[in-house]
Amino acid sequence: MLKVNNIQVHYGRIPALHGVTFEVKERELVSIVGANGAGKSTTLKTIVGALSPVSGNIEFNGLDITGRHSPEIVRLGITYVPEARHIFGPLTVEENLLLGAFILQSKEEVEEGLEFVYRLFPRLEERKKQQGGTLSGGEQQMLAIGRGLMSNPKLLMLDEPSLGLMPKLVDEMLGAVAKLKDSGKTILLVEQNVREALELSDRGYVLQTGRTIHQGTGKELLNAEVIKKAFLGL
Amino acid sequence: MRQVLKNILSLEDRPRSEKIGFIIFIVIILVFPWVVEGSYARAVMIKFLLFALFGLGWNLIGGYGGQVDLGQAKNVGFGAYATALMMVWWKVPFWLTLLPGMAFATAESFAVAYPMFRLRGHYFAIATLCVALVWKELFVFWDWTGGARGVEIPIRPTPDFAYMQFGSPIYYHYFIFLLFIAQLLFMNWFRKSKLGYQLQAIRDNEEAAASLGINVTNTKVITYCITAALGAMGGSFMAAYYLYIDPDFVMPLDLSILIAMTVMVGGAGSMWGPILGAAILIPLDMYLGAWLGGQKRLGIDYMIYALIMMFIAAREPKGIWGVFERMRRRR
Repeated sequence: MLKVNNIQVHYGRIPALHGVTFEVKERELVSIVGANGAGKSTTLKTIVGALSPVSGNIEFNGLDITGRHSPEIVRLGITYVPEARHIFGPLTVEENLLLGAFILQSKEEVEEGLEFVYRLFPRLEERKKQQGGTLSGGEQQMLAIGRGLMSNPKLLMLDEPSLGLMPKLVDEMLGAVAKLKDSGKTILLVEQNVREALELSDRGYVLQTGRTIHQGTGKELLNAEVIKKAFLGL
Repeated sequence: MRQVLKNILSLEDRPRSEKIGFIIFIVIILVFPWVVEGSYARAVMIKFLLFALFGLGWNLIGGYGGQVDLGQAKNVGFGAYATALMMVWWKVPFWLTLLPGMAFATAESFAVAYPMFRLRGHYFAIATLCVALVWKELFVFWDWTGGARGVEIPIRPTPDFAYMQFGSPIYYHYFIFLLFIAQLLFMNWFRKSKLGYQLQAIRDNEEAAASLGINVTNTKVITYCITAALGAMGGSFMAAYYLYIDPDFVMPLDLSILIAMTVMVGGAGSMWGPILGAAILIPLDMYLGAWLGGQKRLGIDYMIYALIMMFIAAREPKGIWGVFERMRRRR
């Protein structure tokens, strides 16, 4: 479904990605793990069109989307749930969700989306009239994911959904990600909780200083020496 | 269609105190010219409504969009000059000059918007300010606009509805009130419209807005153009009401800043903020000017403005309306 082929990205003149290659297949949950500054978020931002690569290409369902604008890419069915949530504080929960659905044409689709999100996160329905900024960190994260799901994307990209949450909520959040996968969504996940993320994932890729240095199924990576040393402290 | 109409008129998401306050406000404006006889007070009232109108328009890009535009005076000028020049040259009735002025302001804004929205924050503000100043100097320099002498609209021998010349200021009062209400209803629709939500999303977080597929630049440009058209509408009224315009009167930097300030003082990005801001700043400006007389130019009024501005910036970024909201939430 998504093929990222040896992309290189620069911030100004500073190179951030030297060559990232990976693939996400339909109905797969794929994790990208790596240390701070390895280029995980940069990769996601490049896919959604916020940054454009200097070389390499990105293919989505057979279509070359390299360097296209974000609005176009979102319409093709990729949503990006950014790190640190970025919800719209002054707007209500429901308004936040509806903003995620504005590319949809029919009212029924919007209703379906709301229903789906409220079933996944019942907490959001309880608070739908509340201002987004008044929610707790975990609820804001639910809102951010819910907002990303509203447009019924073909590929959902989650950037650190458990960042800054307390351990109990981390489990809840990753549980929701697992539920999404079971419901048939294709997900690209960037996570700092390497062990939990890889346990959930079908496959994973390891990034280091802007390169994909390792890949395998979730289980393989959990047992790989590189990962053990670098992330799991074994 | 009925849904749209309902959205325009409905205030159901606002608390009851606000609805009651709004009705009281409308009643005050409606009876004002019958109760107050003084012509100065009536002039203050008309100027208040005019600036509330300007504020509502500017609140689109400056409040809901969060883009500080310090060049709204150029649009006021376009509207005013379109009306004045067309009335003087071709004796066009006032009503037919409204649209050309708004159309020109929209077209000009569209032309300058794309390069300007490559800039953010302070740099955007400076760019808008520069564009407005360039236009003002051009209007001073050109002969066909009357240059620095300005344009005078000849007075008709008898009151004439088509040319917006009335025997009594009461008519101007009700006319500007109508424009004001029309714009208020437009704003009420806008804030709940798709464009309105997209704009607020961009203000709160551009990156997140873009990640939802909102076309950030296009949304800003469209809003900037609507703001321009609304400014030109007020400008047309200014020309017809004051009957004399020159670049220093309808296009100065002071005007741009006063428009932005009424909104910021009242509460940017809120429905009632611009009205509240105009209700405070315009009477203050007019009565301070009358009281200080010739010494106004010494700059005492500017000092008072500056103090208000600093206070708002430091203590109440959401303006006076923000204080009300907070008080209500505490209860």
